[in-house]
Formats: sequence, structure tokens, C-alpha cells
Amino acid sequence: MPLTDEKSKPDTPPGGSIDRRSFLRSTAAFAGLTALAASLAPLRGLKDYTSTEQFLQKYYKEMTPEEMEKVLQRITKEVEHQYGIRPHVRDLRPMNGVEFVYALNLTRCIGCRKCVHACVAENNQSRSPEIQYIRVLKMPHGSMDVEKGNHLYDDKEVPDKGFFYMPIQCQQCKNPACVKVCPVNATWQDKDGVTVIDYDWCIGCRYCEAACPYWARRFNFTKPQIPADRLNPEMSYLGNRPRKQGVMEKCHFCIQRTRDGKYPACLEVCPVGARKFGNILDPESEISYIMRTKRIFIQLKEEMGTNPRFFYYFDK
Amino acid sequence: MEQAPESSKVPGFRKTTYCLSALVVVFVGLAAAFLGNLWGHPPARQQIALVDKGFLEKTPWRKTYADMVRAKEDLSDFDCYGCHDKKHPPPLRFDGNSILIVPEEHKDIVMGHGSHNRNNLCYNCHNESNLETFQVRDGRELKFADSTQLCGSCHGPNYRDWEAGAHGRINGYWNTKLGEARKLDCANCHNPHAPRIPTRMPAPGPHALRTPVGNPHQAETAK
Repeated sequence: MPLTDEKSKPDTPPGGSIDRRSFLRSTAAFAGLTALAASLAPLRGLKDYTSTEQFLQKYYKEMTPEEMEKVLQRITKEVEHQYGIRPHVRDLRPMNGVEFVYALNLTRCIGCRKCVHACVAENNQSRSPEIQYIRVLKMPHGSMDVEKGNHLYDDKEVPDKGFFYMPIQCQQCKNPACVKVCPVNATWQDKDGVTVIDYDWCIGCRYCEAACPYWARRFNFTKPQIPADRLNPEMSYLGNRPRKQGVMEKCHFCIQRTRDGKYPACLEVCPVGARKFGNILDPESEISYIMRTKRIFIQLKEEMGTNPRFFYYFDK
Repeated sequence: MEQAPESSKVPGFRKTTYCLSALVVVFVGLAAAFLGNLWGHPPARQQIALVDKGFLEKTPWRKTYADMVRAKEDLSDFDCYGCHDKKHPPPLRFDGNSILIVPEEHKDIVMGHGSHNRNNLCYNCHNESNLETFQVRDGRELKFADSTQLCGSCHGPNYRDWEAGAHGRINGYWNTKLGEARKLDCANCHNPHAPRIPTRMPAPGPHALRTPVGNPHQAETAK
């Protein structure tokens, strides 16, 4: 052992070799640094949270089209790396002369929850743990009190006698409480009436979740899990691109579809035609017809003053 | 004697050494804990099963005659005069409670149009003088493909809503300048012989992040 050899030669010149004390000291320092590095091991997980480009990215509304193009390329690359599917990511802006309004026919809804799952499939929500934008409340006849509603019903057959079903999702308020409380302006109302979130700007403080009277906002407590074969490759920046852990998300009226002229996914799948969507500024649209002629029963919790763009109505 | 100046530094040197060794011990301990996963993995979350793809299906559950013509499907079921005689319209038979007896050849037809069996006469809609058409109360004769107009001849308000897009399903594009909107017909969703939408199995409900202790609403909905 070199250590004992050195000890046995106390008269070794000081510059020739190392003495016991400095050897121990440097060994201790080395061991200490190694241990320090090893004790920081949990930080290695950080690289999943953000990339440098994303960290240095500008605010959505301040980005030039060229910068936006770069961001879309980065997202494409990240999604392809993670899921092995090359997505088609776009940044769809609101159309001129369009304001979206949603109406839901409570007479028709049968509570089959197909909209819930069509929404999850379209908008790339986490499957496990589960994030769903739509909650279907089973409500006893004769009451509009949502506190009497139950969204965990597990009946074998729907609709159940003596109940009606009331799906609730983001109401796209004209006076949104969630936007007002956001400390970093990561969420705002676009001119077509859709309140959107920039997932790269959100700091995950969850103020908006607390402010929303409809429980429409969802938080990614863990890393979202989406099987690659269920990923929807048609994406938009403010819409359904995959989210990260620690950001909010919510219904955005499927902007990757609706800003392209299509109906939202929840409407497409509704087997009874209870869901109606359209441009309220177009007097010929079915939504304008419904607003003019139907018995619009409620804007949910209208006493909150949020003025939702989501209306519930009855046929008869 | 050479050691004397060094030994005079001992208290300060010792302090540093103790501090450093204490830190080293802390770091080694932490490193061992992280690498050896001393606290164990976070408790495994319950994996939620993927939803059956059938619940994501957008196509309507029924096909109309017009759909079958479009898809060039086998229409031999609609060849009435393969069995019936043109000159003799099939007679309707009723049981003691004046409920229509559905003949054996048509036993797949469930009679359920209107409550209390008030609308159980085949020739309210089918045309006895030409079984391959419908007859409307105002005397018009309609082809099978135009069944929606037949429904509209009685269900006025719903037909009006359907024309405006407020009743029934429209798929495709809300903005018809950008693409086609496909308006479904009555018979895509309603069985004309039993138009009430049948009950169905709902898609699975939400799973909480933590397993909920009982359903707080159970007592309320059970009433």
C-alpha cells in the first residue's frame, strides 16, 4: 500500500511525493465533490421540463411570424422525439367577423359521455392520470341546482328515468374571471371569444383554477401520459399540442378545428344532436336561430356576472 | 520542533476539517439515499384503462335508404314486389286489443311509433297502392330516399328546427365556405318504426386522482 510506504519514509523530500495529510485532504475533497454531484441527482429530471429555446421564448403576442415559425418547428421536433409521430402544428388566429357561441339542448342530452372522450382524443389530454374538460352532471328532474348533480354516475343504461343530464365545460365567458387573476398574462380572451392559454408562458400558479366558477380548468399535476397511437397529430399552438407537467389547460372550443371552419369534436360525436355551435355574428347560422327562437334557460351561474358564451336551452 | 507553528493553527484547522467532514457525510448520505432510492418510488398510481374506441365513433348508429344507395349497398330488402303482389296490398291483422300483428316475414320491425299504439297502421306512411313509396296525408307520393319530408309532414316544429339546423346532427364544417356541412336525416338517429332514441351504455366516468372514499352523491341520487 502506497500510504504505508510513504509513512515508512518520513525523510522523503516535501516536493517529491505527497504526505499523508494532503493525500487524505484531497481524497476527502474529491469524495465530497462526488457526493455533492450525486446528491444533486434529482435535478437531472429537470431537463424534461424545459428546453433553452423554450426558456428564452418571447411572449406569444410579441412574437414575429418568423419567431413563431421557429417555435412551431421546435414543438414539432419535441413531439416527434417524444411520441415518434410527426405532428402538423399550426398557429391558428381568430377569423374576422366571427364570435363563437355554444348552445346545449338539455331536452336532448342523454348523458352518454361520448363528448367527454371525443374531447380527450381530439385535444391530447393525459389519459392516466385523467384530464377531462367536460363533466356530465346527472341532475334530478325539477331542479337546476348543480349541487344536486352527480358526475360519477355509473349506470348501465342512460338516460335514467327521472333525471336529466347537463354537460359542463369551459363557458368561454365574456367577462372571464380566470383571465383577470392570471399574474403573467398566460391566458387571455381572443377576439373570437375563445379564452386560450399559452402553455409555454403559464407558471402553474393555479389562480385561474380557483377563480373559475365552473371548474373548467385543469392542472397537470404529473407528466401527461398519452399513448402514441392515440395522439392527434393535427395540433395548434394555443390548442391541443401536448402539455407539460405543471401547466393549466382547459376547453378552447377545439380551436385547431373551429378556426379552420370545422365543428368542435364534442359536437361531431354527439349521437343526439344536443350540441350546437356556430358564429353568432352570422344571422343565418343555426346558433343565431337558436338564440332567436329557443327557450334559452340559463347561462350557468349567471349571477356571477361572467356572461358565458355557452347557453343551455330546452326544446319544449 | 518543526511541528510547533502548525500545531498553533490547530483550532482553526480543526474547525474547517470538522465542517468539511460533516458536509461530506451529509452529501454522501444524500447521495446514497438518492442513488439507493431509500425513500422508494412514489406510490404507483392506478393506471386508467383507455376508453373503448367505439365511444369515439362519429358515424350515426343507423343508415338511411339514401345512405345505402350512396354506398351502393344491397337493396334487395327494399324490393317489396319480390314477395308482395302489386294488385293485392297486404291486409293488416290485429289481435283482440286492436294491436297490430307484425307478420312473421317482418318480425324485425318493432312497432313503437307514438304512445298507446295509436299509430300502428302501416299505411299511415307506407303506400298500399305502391309499396315502394310513401304516402303523405296531403296526397303526395314520396320515394324511400325522401323519408325526412315524410316525417316533416306530421312533425312540423321539429322539421322547421331541423331545416334551420337546430334539431338533429350536422357534421363537418360550421363555415360552409371552407368545407361541406353534412346534415343528417331523421332516420339516421330515429328508427321510423320506433323513433324514441333507445337507452345505451354510457362511456366510463371520471377517475379521481386519488381513489375517492365512497360517492358523496350516491345518497342524493338514490332518492
